[in-house]
Parts: sequence; C-alpha cells; structure tokens
Amino acid sequence: MNDYFIRCENLSYIYEDTGESAIPVFHPALDGVSLNISRGEYLAILGHNGSGKSTLAKLISMILTPKSGKIYIDGTDITDETLGEDAQYELRRRVGMVFQNPDNQLVATVVEEDVAFGPENLGIPSDEIRKRVDDALSLVGMQDYKRHAPHKLSGGQKQRVAIAGIIAMHPDIIIFDEATAMLDPIGRRDVLAIMERLNREDGITVINITHYMDEAARADRIVVINDGKTLLDGTPDEVFSNVPLLHEVGLEAPQSAELIHALREAGLVINSNAITPEGCRDLLIRLLSGGDR
Amino acid sequence: MISDITLGQFFPGSSILHRLDPRTKLLLSLLYIIGVFLLNTPMAFILYTLITLSLILASRISMRVILKGIKPIVIVLIFTMIINILLTSGEGEPLFSFLIFAVYKEGIIRAFFMAYRVIMLIVGSSVLLTYTTSPIALTDGLESLLSPLKLIKVPVHLFAMMMTIALRFIPTLIEETETIMNAQKSRGANFTEGSIIKRARALIPILVPLFVSSFKRAEELAVAMECRCYRGDVGRTKMNKLKYRLRDILWLTVGALLFAGLILLSVKSAELSALGEAMRILFYKI
Amino acid sequence: MEKIRIEGVSFIYSKGTPFERRALDGVSCSFEAGKITCLIGHTGSGKSTLVNLLNGLYRPTEGKVYLDGEDIWARPKKITDIRRRVGLVMQYPEYQLFDETVYSDIAFGPKNLGLDAGEIDLRVREAIAFVGLDEALLSKSPFELSGGQKRRVAIAGIIAMRPEVLVLDEPAAGLDPRGRREILGGLTRYVRERGITLILVSHSMEDMASYCDNVVVMKDAKVFMQGTVDEVFSHPDELDAVGLDTPEITKLAQGLIQAGIVLSGALYTVEDVRDAILRYIGGNAQ
Repeated sequence: MNDYFIRCENLSYIYEDTGESAIPVFHPALDGVSLNISRGEYLAILGHNGSGKSTLAKLISMILTPKSGKIYIDGTDITDETLGEDAQYELRRRVGMVFQNPDNQLVATVVEEDVAFGPENLGIPSDEIRKRVDDALSLVGMQDYKRHAPHKLSGGQKQRVAIAGIIAMHPDIIIFDEATAMLDPIGRRDVLAIMERLNREDGITVINITHYMDEAARADRIVVINDGKTLLDGTPDEVFSNVPLLHEVGLEAPQSAELIHALREAGLVINSNAITPEGCRDLLIRLLSGGDR
Repeated sequence: MISDITLGQFFPGSSILHRLDPRTKLLLSLLYIIGVFLLNTPMAFILYTLITLSLILASRISMRVILKGIKPIVIVLIFTMIINILLTSGEGEPLFSFLIFAVYKEGIIRAFFMAYRVIMLIVGSSVLLTYTTSPIALTDGLESLLSPLKLIKVPVHLFAMMMTIALRFIPTLIEETETIMNAQKSRGANFTEGSIIKRARALIPILVPLFVSSFKRAEELAVAMECRCYRGDVGRTKMNKLKYRLRDILWLTVGALLFAGLILLSVKSAELSALGEAMRILFYKI
Repeated sequence: MEKIRIEGVSFIYSKGTPFERRALDGVSCSFEAGKITCLIGHTGSGKSTLVNLLNGLYRPTEGKVYLDGEDIWARPKKITDIRRRVGLVMQYPEYQLFDETVYSDIAFGPKNLGLDAGEIDLRVREAIAFVGLDEALLSKSPFELSGGQKRRVAIAGIIAMRPEVLVLDEPAAGLDPRGRREILGGLTRYVRERGITLILVSHSMEDMASYCDNVVVMKDAKVFMQGTVDEVFSHPDELDAVGLDTPEITKLAQGLIQAGIVLSGALYTVEDVRDAILRYIGGNAQ
C-alpha cells in the first residue's frame, strides 16, 4: 500500500552525547519503529519523557537523519541523500513543526514580522506574504496583536504566533512537539482548539506529541512509544483500555478509564470500557442500578 | 528592577518622521552628525538650532521626553564644561582668575560650543533615528544601505539577522537574568555585600546558568529557523519592502541643501576665496 | 495556627513609568503552619508576584507580610534571614544549576548559611535522598542529568537549607504523569514528616484535590477565594467563573448522584470516587 501520506519503516536513531564529558555516551532513542500516517489524520503520540517520541518527530521533520530505516512523505524518500537542496526545502515547507518553548522559536521583534519569516524564506512575493500573514494571524485569533512585541505576550499567545508562522507557509502536516507542555490551562485549551480546527477544517495532518492523556484522548488515533519502540497503536478507546500497561510505562489513562480500572482491581466485574465521563457515567449507572449485577 | 530598563526607546507614532523610509533617516542623520562638527559661526549655530527644533516638531515627540533623554548626561556635560573653561588659555587678558586658574573668553565660548554640540548630537540622532524608527526598520534600513558591500563578500544579511535576533532576545534575557538572580538569592546568595572579588565570584551562579540557557535557546532557535526554511538570504523576499517615496526624495534634497548652506556659513570667507583660487588654478592647468 | 499572613498587600511593577502595572491589589490571606496550601490562579492573576513577596524577594508597595507574627520587613537588612526560613523553588528550577558537581550545587545554599563541612555533607546527602535520587549522582555534573533529574537536584538545593516554609512554583510543570506523581508525592510526604508549611503553586485542580489541605484562589490581582479544599470545591460555579475546571472525576461522580446513585464523602480523586462507589455497593448489599 502506497496510499499512506507518511510512511516510517523500521526507524532507528542513536543519540551520541558528547556534552560535558569527553567520552561519548550512546542513548538508543528509537529502535525499529514503523508507523504509517494517512493524509488528514489527527494522531497523538504518547510517551513519557525520554521515550523517543520527540526523536520520531525530529526525524519526520528532517531535523535529524535516521541511523537506519526509511521515511517517505507523499511518496518521496526524505532519507535519500541524493535529494537536491530545493527538494529538501520544499519538504521542510510541507512539514511544519511547533516546538515546546514558545520563546525559542520566534525570530522577529514584531509579531507580524515573525509570521512573515517563513514565507519570506520561501521567496514569496511581498503582497502574497502580507495576505498570508493576515490570514494566518486571524486564524489563530492574534490579528489584534500584529504590531506587538513577542516578549510582551503570554506563553499561549506566543505559541499561537508560532503556529501562525507555520500556517503561513501552507504546510500539509504540522507536528506539535509537546507544544502545550509549558502553557497554562487557558493557553493549552487555545492551542488545542487551533490544532483541531486546522485538522478538521483545513485538512492538515496533525501529529500531537504529548504526555497529557486528555489531549491524546481527543485524537483519532494514539501511538504509544516506550523505550524507542511502538508499544500501542490504536483508537483512544483501544489504547486507554490497557490501563495496567500504561501504568507500567509511567503513563496514565483519562480519569474515567482509571476509575473503571480501579473498580476492577477492587474486585468488581466490569465487562466494557469507557474513556469519557459520559460513557463512564452511563456504564456505572447500568452497573450500579443492578441491571448488570 | 532590571526589567524597567527600556532599550532602543522607540516611541510608536505616525508623524512625518515616523513615516520616512529608514534609509532616508539614516542618511539624514549622517549629514546631521557631520554638520554638528563642521559648524563654527554664529549664523551656522542659529541655522542648526532651527533645523533641530523643526525636527522635534516634525517628530511630534514631546519636549519633556527630549529633555529626559538629555538628563543622564547633564552631570558629565557640566563637568567637561568646567574643565574646558578652566584649562583653555586665550590670547588677551583673562576675564578673571582664582587659585591657579585663569578664565578666558575663549574657554567659555569653547565650553559652550562643546556642550551645544553634544546636546544637538543626542537630540538630533534620537529624534531622527531611535525615537521614530522601530528597531526592525532600522535593521532593514542598514541592511539595504550596506547591501553594495555584498559585492565584496561582506555578509550584510547575516549581520542584519544577528541584530534582529539580538533585539528580539534582549528583553527575554533581561527577564531571565532577573529570575536566576532571584533563584540564587533564594538560596542565600548575596550580590551586594563583600569585597569586589567576593562580589565578582557571586556572579558565577548567575552567569553560568545564563550562558547554559542562552546556548540552549540558540540551538533551539536555529532548529526552528531551519524548519521554517531559513537558508540565509538565498531566494529571500521581504513582506515590507523598503520603498523611497516622493517625501523621501524631498527630505533628502532639503537635507542636502541645508548641509551645503551650512558649509557655506561655516567656512570663513577668506578660506572660501582661497578655495576659489585653488579651483581656478586647477582649471587653468587642465 | 498561621505561619505566614499577608495583610493588605499591593504590588506595583515599574512604578512611575509608562509600563506601570498593578500585580497585586490589597491582597490579604494566610498560610497555616504545617499544612499544604495550594495557590491557584491563571497567568497574570498575581500568584507569581505573591510568591516572590513571601520570601522577601519583592517588597510590597503597600501592606505587610508576617512570618510567625513578625513583619518580615521590620529590619530590611535582615531580609536574607527570611529567605533562609522561607525556601522558594521557582518554576523550571533546573535552569538555576551552575556548579561543577551535583554535590557542590546542592551545597551552595547550606554554604551560604555558613554551616561547617560536616553539617553540609549531612544535609546534601539527606536532601538528595529526599528527592529520590541516587548518591552516585553527587559526583556528576548537573548538566549531564536528564531534565527530571535536574529538577530534583534543584529542589534538593532548597531542601538542604531546611526551610520552615517551602514555596514551590509549579514543581511538576512539563513532567510526564509518573514524574509528576513522584515529585509531588515525594515533596508532600517530606513536608508532612517534617511538619513544614508547604505552599504549592499549581494550575491543576487534580493536584490540588490530591495533595492539598487548603486553597487560595487568585484572580485579577486579588484573592478570589480561600478555604479548605472542601470549601472551595463546594463553589463550582465560582470556580468555573475563574476558568478553573472541576476535575473530570468529580463531574462524573456528580452525574452519578444526579442519576440517583448517592455517593458520599470527598469526591475529588479517582481513589475517592472508587471508595465511594465501593461504600455504596456495600451499603446496598446489607
């Protein structure tokens, strides 16, 4: 099947840490991961800190090159070393990336100048850039701040500007690499809403790398990475019904799934699963009003 | 608090000076600065004062802000004026003398001219540039004006990009310095007591984390820029292209005329005729 | 008994400049001795400013901060003593590490207290054990550690000063679920054992429900609500108005109650609700 938009085949990556010590330390970050992503999919990648999930993102966005394995984006092998420079930059344009620290991805001293940075690099004509910048800023609801200085904005606002900067490049995929980890609940909610709107309304493929269970639960599909390997891959319902396995690798399930698991542990017989409060409530009402017992 | 420091001191506005092309303002300030050093006749001083006053009016920046800008140097200015007055000797009789000092008319004039020049320099360049031009416009203007240097392989674009990033991160780093200082104070560090060596040593717990995090920031920013297809100025366009308009041409013309007038006013007539004589000889020879 | 009392405190940033901002406006609240109080509120609500006032990093523009009934600014020269008694761990404290080894970094605080080498050694080893790290790490460079380990070393640096009050600004920010549980669980266990007063700044209602006794809710530079966890949770509408969501599990339990399944007791954590359901089943079985 060649229909997948992104195909990762047997990816491995090893970090060589030559930081402060003289002897390099090798950390295997990814160990034979294969993953296919369809066009327009909303995928969450879950994993604890250091599980290798961010490495996977950096490989897809060509920040890192895999030690072995292949990555195809829309049929093009991005690990191909004979790929020309222009082809590489075109692939970079198509794969947008939003990082964790909102401060360290804004380049310019004025919001709109920052959003223009990507399109300027692409050599797009001035009028077209102006239009793209205005569109992107209104899409993330930051049009009123276009003449502001980034350092005066809140974390969530900075992150929205960063997203606008990616949108203005008209990418096919946006990877959010723990983009909500440093935000407060309001900032997190705003960024998540934009992420989902981009996926639903503009058909952009979204990969949300996170360790927030509630965020992952909203995706179409969840891939759990542990120790550089794919541990689970399925719908949120499927993944979050494996509560003991998630606990084992340092993760959690949404509270509803946790409750059902806790009741089972306490000896109750519950045959189905639920990951939303509504589903869980209905399930418990049936159980407790005697229907199932 | 350190974060009270405002750098660049740009006052957003829409006055005619705000709307001029940054390159026009850079060129005008160059003429203005050269002019300050050339002027030496009373007429030239009057002309210069008028020019500066009109610039202030054109910028619509309040006199209070302008005076506040001069305030920090007043003490230095007074001190140098006193030195000038006391140490300049003149031709005629001293006006008066005390202790070992003799005060001459020349000294007073010189001190006054010096102070006038410094004040004009500060007022003129801030009104023309920093007060009315955003840092980013200033960078763009410099990049554009210096672009001929690209022919001799001077990486003008890179310098401009470095300047932009520096301006972007100065407030972030100031904030971070304050946070780290507070963190170390919370661990009992003391930055205000003890000998100079002790105080210098006390800076290590601030500087090391600041360097570490700056490098981390630099690395992350580089990756983010690369992801946004940055490849130097290869095939790069700009959203806000600098464009000379009619008003820029007018201002530059007026500036050049005033500059020429200033030279005429400043150069003494004797020198002028000598210059004319020299030209005549030159032309005859050809 | 109250350990820290804030009385009518206002704090204004950059007073007298165009950037003036009132971060706290007549705030009064108190923190009970030996209890864990959650300080909750959104970015910009003033909670971070309040944290910096608690150990005298900032001085209130108006009002007083009392520690054990004494005004901490009664003798401004002695403010460093207050900082020793009130330990503050800032957000992302891993960015304040600076020394060559983990050992010397943790020892920085105790050294500033002027303790002898033996006492320092004792405290460093005790602190590293409390944050759940291996003593083998003591000889390593802090910059070689993982993010989560760095965070713990930074917290150990404050614990080694043995403060009476510990203030932690979002100690679990950016950590994965296991990291969160380990840090918060470890810290709360430690302060309960030692009878230390803990003030925990958090965004998370789940953390508040799981770990805290009391709550202070901040909104728009003012104290919006304060009381025990039960008292605060009994006002869901007010919490909603400040954008603080009731935990998912509590909503679920409320849904069950509405459907006629009468659950009793606290219903803020998964364990609470599990126990309530088990009690309900037990009650019905009789």
